[in-house]
Amino acid sequence: MKLKSLGVIIILAVLSLSIVTGCQPGFQPGTFTDDLGREISIDGIPQRIISLAPGNTEILFDLGLGDRVVGVTEFCNYPEAAIAKPKVGGFSTVDVERVVALEPDLILATSIHEAKVIPTLENVGLTVVALAPETLDGVLDNIILVGKITGRSQEASRLVAGLEERIKAITDKTESLPESQRPRVFYVLWHEPLMTVGSEARIHGLIVKAGGTNIAQDLTGDYPTISLEAVILANPQVIIAGSGHGSGEDSTFQFAKTEPILEDIDARRHDRVYEMDADLPSRPGSRIVDALEFFARFIHPELFPQI
Amino acid sequence: MSRHQPGSAFTNQAPPVHFPHWRGRVYAILGLLVALGVAMIFTTAVGSVQIPFSTTWQILLSKLPLVQVTPTWPGTLETIILEIRLPRVVLAGLVGGALSLAGATYQGLFRNPLADPYLIGVAQGAALGAVVGFLLPSPWHNMGFGIIPLLAFVGALISTAIVYTLARVGKTLPVTTLILAGVALGALLGSVVSYLIISSGEKMHGIIFWLMGSFSLSQWSEVKVVLPYVVVGVVVILLYARPLNVMQLDEEQAQQLGINVERLKLILLAAATLITAAAVSFVGTIGFVGIIIPHAVRLIWGPDHRFLLPLSVLSGAIFLILADVIARTVLAPMEIPIGVITALVGAPFFLYLLRRRRRIIF
Repeated sequence: MKLKSLGVIIILAVLSLSIVTGCQPGFQPGTFTDDLGREISIDGIPQRIISLAPGNTEILFDLGLGDRVVGVTEFCNYPEAAIAKPKVGGFSTVDVERVVALEPDLILATSIHEAKVIPTLENVGLTVVALAPETLDGVLDNIILVGKITGRSQEASRLVAGLEERIKAITDKTESLPESQRPRVFYVLWHEPLMTVGSEARIHGLIVKAGGTNIAQDLTGDYPTISLEAVILANPQVIIAGSGHGSGEDSTFQFAKTEPILEDIDARRHDRVYEMDADLPSRPGSRIVDALEFFARFIHPELFPQI
Repeated sequence: MSRHQPGSAFTNQAPPVHFPHWRGRVYAILGLLVALGVAMIFTTAVGSVQIPFSTTWQILLSKLPLVQVTPTWPGTLETIILEIRLPRVVLAGLVGGALSLAGATYQGLFRNPLADPYLIGVAQGAALGAVVGFLLPSPWHNMGFGIIPLLAFVGALISTAIVYTLARVGKTLPVTTLILAGVALGALLGSVVSYLIISSGEKMHGIIFWLMGSFSLSQWSEVKVVLPYVVVGVVVILLYARPLNVMQLDEEQAQQLGINVERLKLILLAAATLITAAAVSFVGTIGFVGIIIPHAVRLIWGPDHRFLLPLSVLSGAIFLILADVIARTVLAPMEIPIGVITALVGAPFFLYLLRRRRRIIF
């Protein structure tokens, strides 16, 4: 008995030693390239992480790093635990004083911080990694990257494998659909002015994977404005409206559902106007696959009745 | 005892106006210099992160040569004070002084109380340059220097050069054509900027914040770039204070009194535009400072440019430093765009001054 307990103690000691010295399976120090083409070298497992965007916050919590997160933005509202974290900024404004005072060893930024925020943070010696995925696959790559940087490679791989399975369950049925069986979809980002998603937006990719055709696919840019006439001309069969925007308000959905000028389009006549929490498809975190599943159900209810 | 002031747009019809004796104005300059120093120390001690004043004081002292202070504070506080707040305060002072001086210069040159540093297209040219810089792809932003301030500066200079070329009549530069050309080009550039903003997608937020003006994320490298332009421009303009006084008579009279009017206009315009462009390139177009500070100074201390100009520089610097500390502490960690603060705070103050002084002047 004594030998067994000694053995257990030794094993525990070795394990805790390896955790303390950072020799965790899944972490190797090295140089990583982020989405802005910057090379960052990471020498030790980051223990104090600040996120400058809600999508990054979601990825961190997905990988179980919630207790290592020491700062988030005002808009980081998912999961619940993120709301209680100290706030370091708003949408594209960052309070550098607060960031420095929190002594982070890793900061996750995005492309909007490229012009001024990232140079300023690097100027005071902080490590910044920018995540800016352009597609759904880019989001999965980001999860793997964050896993590698933070010593959570295994969790990241597991998470991505699960997400890829769910994606495959949808694309298996939609990949081979011909043009004629792809409903015309109009995603309403905002109604004043009327904004939708162009071919460069991640949401566009979701529509395509879910087996639809984005009526705005010929518009360049990621979030172009579109005229009501163009919408009527395109005659979408499915309308998905983003709601919530952090305040629970649904004026965009109400617009899509009740605007008289849109009365005669297919989507309204067959009552295929759907509401969606805008955060799900917009944020580059694991919930984007939830959005994909919603899209699949809205666009092809006959193929995905049970999601 | 009252001194009769040289003629100006404000005192032509009035009886001799009682402004402070010249000695009083010299004391005012010295007083404002001290106030500037105090304001800088005070605002460096205040921010969204609470740092005890004694710590701030010690950190600042430790940076003076010959002063020995043993560090008892964590490195992060030193970083906040010296690398984040201090450059910001210094830049705010430089920009406030530059914009106020440019405004005073334009008002003196054009003999028009509505003139401000952005009259001849500098702001819109800088805005266009900056927006183009924002929209450039990633590789442009990784070159080791700021592409946005560079393009903003270039934009400001190019638009001024265009306005100047359009406004010239033979060898002269009539003030009217200058203003008209400036307003027209400004409108054209402004519409291009608006179009670019609408098509900027996710960068729209950052661009709009830049346009409203902000000292957030100021660094010493920016101060180093802005400083020489502002110093040179300020010195040049201050040297021409007396001729600027004489310019308040109309141009013919000034010419007859021995002022080379066209050369003076060129030099002063170039200097004022240079300091405005340098100021705007890094922090965006901050409104209100350039037009209101010179007027406030004029209302308190009189229109003699030998005092008006240096007092405008100092008052503008103090004003913008204080406006910036309000902008970054009231709603921390969110920042209010500084243009909002300058308008909200400056306008009532100016109205108050106007009420008190108008009976004297008008």
